[in-house]
Amino acid sequence: MRRPLSLLCELTYRCNLQCPYCYNPLALSEYRDELSTEQWNVLLRDAAALGVVQAHFSGGEPTLRRDLADLVATASRAGLYTNLITQGTFLDDTLLDRLLGEGLDHIQVSIQAPEAELADRIAGTAVHEKKLDALRRIGARDVALTLNCVLHRGNHDTIGEIVAFAERFGIARLELANVQFYGWAYRNRTALMPTREQVRHAESIVTAERERLRGKMEIVYVLPDYFGEFPKPCMNGWANEFMTVTPNGDVLPCPAASAIRDLRFENVRNRTIGEIWRDSEAFERYRGTGWMREPCRSCDRRELDWGGCRCQAFLLAGDAGATDPACSLSPHHSIIEALRDDAQNVEPVARRA
Amino acid sequence: MNAPVRPRFGKGVKLRHDPDGSVMLLVPEAALVLNAPAAAALELVDGMRTTGEIVEAVVKQFDVEPERARDDVAALFDRLVERGFLR
Repeated sequence: MRRPLSLLCELTYRCNLQCPYCYNPLALSEYRDELSTEQWNVLLRDAAALGVVQAHFSGGEPTLRRDLADLVATASRAGLYTNLITQGTFLDDTLLDRLLGEGLDHIQVSIQAPEAELADRIAGTAVHEKKLDALRRIGARDVALTLNCVLHRGNHDTIGEIVAFAERFGIARLELANVQFYGWAYRNRTALMPTREQVRHAESIVTAERERLRGKMEIVYVLPDYFGEFPKPCMNGWANEFMTVTPNGDVLPCPAASAIRDLRFENVRNRTIGEIWRDSEAFERYRGTGWMREPCRSCDRRELDWGGCRCQAFLLAGDAGATDPACSLSPHHSIIEALRDDAQNVEPVARRA
Repeated sequence: MNAPVRPRFGKGVKLRHDPDGSVMLLVPEAALVLNAPAAAALELVDGMRTTGEIVEAVVKQFDVEPERARDDVAALFDRLVERGFLR
């Protein structure tokens, strides 16, 4: 068994935005009993001792936790690389300076679209201007920044403008991530699914812009896996190098895993994160390749993509032990094809607690 | 891509040494595991040393052909410069 390298800390599922593509679980109210500062401190130190090298603070919106800077301090002192994943609307000068003072290494700020009207419509509230302020504040300081935009049918056609927006703000790293269908995004999949033309168009823009901006801006483009031949190597293998802790302390091998209703996840209130990593039933179930059936079991790619995503297999094929239906070799692949071609002009449901 | 004469790390890039001897380059949202020569080269990156000096040190430490070391270090640095991890 390998050591875990990466820990995603979902500090809270509270958020002032209502993006319909959020991957958080639908049952947000089940996570109101959040871990205390001291419980997070203990698990961050335990994770560092276990071999974790990076802590990602996310949510919901992690800046809604008043103790965020204290947790960054704990993680930094334990030797962890610290990353804040935020929508940016609460990043004022005071908070930003405190976070950097405690050793924050990197910030990822998300935008919904390159201009206010569309962005605010997607977020369900007026946030775009506040994000511009946050980007200027971060740009004026000496810290690494990634700008992120989740792509879906409602903003896919603005991809060229998103790159231009990033250029205006001097962004060195831009992540264009096609929506992944978990949580609220799964609920809203027919409204969010990009069209084939959009995906083709985006690929040609990304190729050209990467060439034009070579050495100035790194453009990370996350392909939509409903459109590929093989699935993504989700989490680089179940319980292989990645752990997520939810706001109430559940420990998951993947941030979408709570969707798998027949797995029981253990909680840091009862056992240490090291014990859970080593032998919890949910981590053991799909670790490595021993659990695989055909067509994965004899496939040359089994240690390249690890059978794809267990959560997607559960959501679409009803069996977390099946080959990810995103794989063209999966017996359930027709489900993906049907979904992909089922892009409909329906209104998405806003994320709400 | 031309590597800078005196390379230094980009923002948010850190070299990490572990008790088990492994060395990783921690970058925004990823950790790159380094082999011994790559780790040795990156340990000398400080914004003062030139790429030539770094290659020379790697040649001494690993008993490799100077030409091969120069190519390997140049290829590594090019990749890192392109991603903004070295500048």
